[in-house]
Amino acid sequence: MIYMHINFWGQEFKVNLIVGCIGAFLIAVMSSMFGFGGGPFMVPLMTVALGLPMYVVVGSSLLAIFFNTLMSTTKHYAFGNFDLDLFLVMFPAAILAGFIAPKIAKKLNPLWVKRVAVAGLTILGLSLVGVF
Amino acid sequence: MIRKPLLAMFASCLLLTSGTLFAADAAAPAAAPAATEAPAAAPAAPVTPMVPTISVDKAELANGGTIIVSGKAEPGKPVFLEVVSEHKVGGSFFDGKPNKEGKIPYKLYITKEIPAFYQIVVPASQQPVLDKFKKDGKGWSYSAALKETGAIAAYAAPGKASIDSFQASLMASIIGSRGELLPALDDKERVSRSMQIMKARYRSVGKLLAASIEQKEDGSFSAKVKIPAGSPDLKYVITAVVDKDTRSEPVTVDNKVSFPVIYMENAGTSLNIFVPFALVFAIATFGVLMGAGGGFIINPVMVMLFPIPHNIVAGTVTPTVLFSQASGIMNYSKIKFINWKVGITLGCAMLAGGFIGPALTTMITLDQFKSAFGWILFVLAALMFWQTTPGYLAKNKKEQAILKEFQKRAAEAAKAGA
Repeated sequence: MIYMHINFWGQEFKVNLIVGCIGAFLIAVMSSMFGFGGGPFMVPLMTVALGLPMYVVVGSSLLAIFFNTLMSTTKHYAFGNFDLDLFLVMFPAAILAGFIAPKIAKKLNPLWVKRVAVAGLTILGLSLVGVF
Repeated sequence: MIRKPLLAMFASCLLLTSGTLFAADAAAPAAAPAATEAPAAAPAAPVTPMVPTISVDKAELANGGTIIVSGKAEPGKPVFLEVVSEHKVGGSFFDGKPNKEGKIPYKLYITKEIPAFYQIVVPASQQPVLDKFKKDGKGWSYSAALKETGAIAAYAAPGKASIDSFQASLMASIIGSRGELLPALDDKERVSRSMQIMKARYRSVGKLLAASIEQKEDGSFSAKVKIPAGSPDLKYVITAVVDKDTRSEPVTVDNKVSFPVIYMENAGTSLNIFVPFALVFAIATFGVLMGAGGGFIINPVMVMLFPIPHNIVAGTVTPTVLFSQASGIMNYSKIKFINWKVGITLGCAMLAGGFIGPALTTMITLDQFKSAFGWILFVLAALMFWQTTPGYLAKNKKEQAILKEFQKRAAEAAKAGA
């Protein structure tokens, strides 16, 4: 009852539904409240807490997150938390980034990108909590 | 139960009648000697207060600027200017602090009708009072500042906004609603709640109040009214006010904003569209590179750089990522790289979460939004740091090899199938 059995390319996996659903629910509340996708939290949840291998997680986590984003988009819209002009400015920029980023990615060392991200996120976090 | 209000009504009737009786008694002897001693002075004394006049040096602004307002009011009485943008925006205030009885009301006040720009200009001599409130930091009280400067006499436009109030509860949050809609507020409470909403939206003393009116002894006055760049476009109505019932005819000033600067209706801000475009492009590119999407950085950077409320930022960034997710799902499903069973099961749990979150965005203040976001970023930074540790990298190398192998097989299978 607690476990769900799934089949991926001929391999069997057991998924703990209680851990998975509670974790996914909490990540969804947080990400829809603050307006981000939630992928970087869902991937560790599914790989570490649920013990699924990366190749199962990459596509399936995206599908799970899509449900959250779709719902929170409708809710935000219904509450009037949406600005059409701002969206029309941001949307093409995000699409353009989606095309260009993979081309840059080939030339960069992913390990260094991660290290820069760690430093950048920490600095941004510190300024958000008011340290400086 | 019924007796109490009846008693109160009776008591107040008594007070009212006794008040008028007393006033009549007092007025009668005072008026009598005045009439006999100086009959000529009576018609000269103004019965109705003098209505202030007002004029502006220019009728048009280009994305903000300074207007010099001059006019004349009754000598010896301080005059205030109420500057109101005709654009309306939304605002909200969540009452989550214990009241006098120590109970937390958990009430959400929300409106769509507060002015997108609002400022009361007070006499220049009040600058020390404003400085005092500025020193109070984030916790300054708008209503106290209005009372202490006397600007409360001019406070009219936001008080007209209709405000919905909701009784928030855990149950209501679980079903993703704002809570139970409470009966309409009375006029007095509406005005005082509007002040809390205005403060929650505009936050700083300097945005809501300015001290620049210089008034001469003969009652003539002049003031500099500064409309900052990025303010809403179109009409601003300026009125000179002496007291609640003594207001000048309004004058209007037109704020012209031209492309590439546009006014964003819900955000309540005029922005050069290339600024957010470049910003989102840069951040989203970096987001894709680090494998975390851009929302984590775009949201906090937007609320830090632009005067856009956090709920609008969150609600507008969310649909932006929708499309990149959808295209990702398409690509993975083409090579049968999605396990629909686990994806949909966890997706249903996330659907429930996505139902609740957006209702909570409005209940927190911008400062709470920022600091909570700070902690989320610390967790994310920790996760990313873990992904750079040797143990993780060794494991990841193997996983990536398997992933590539599976992707190859999937692509071949998809080709064979098609």
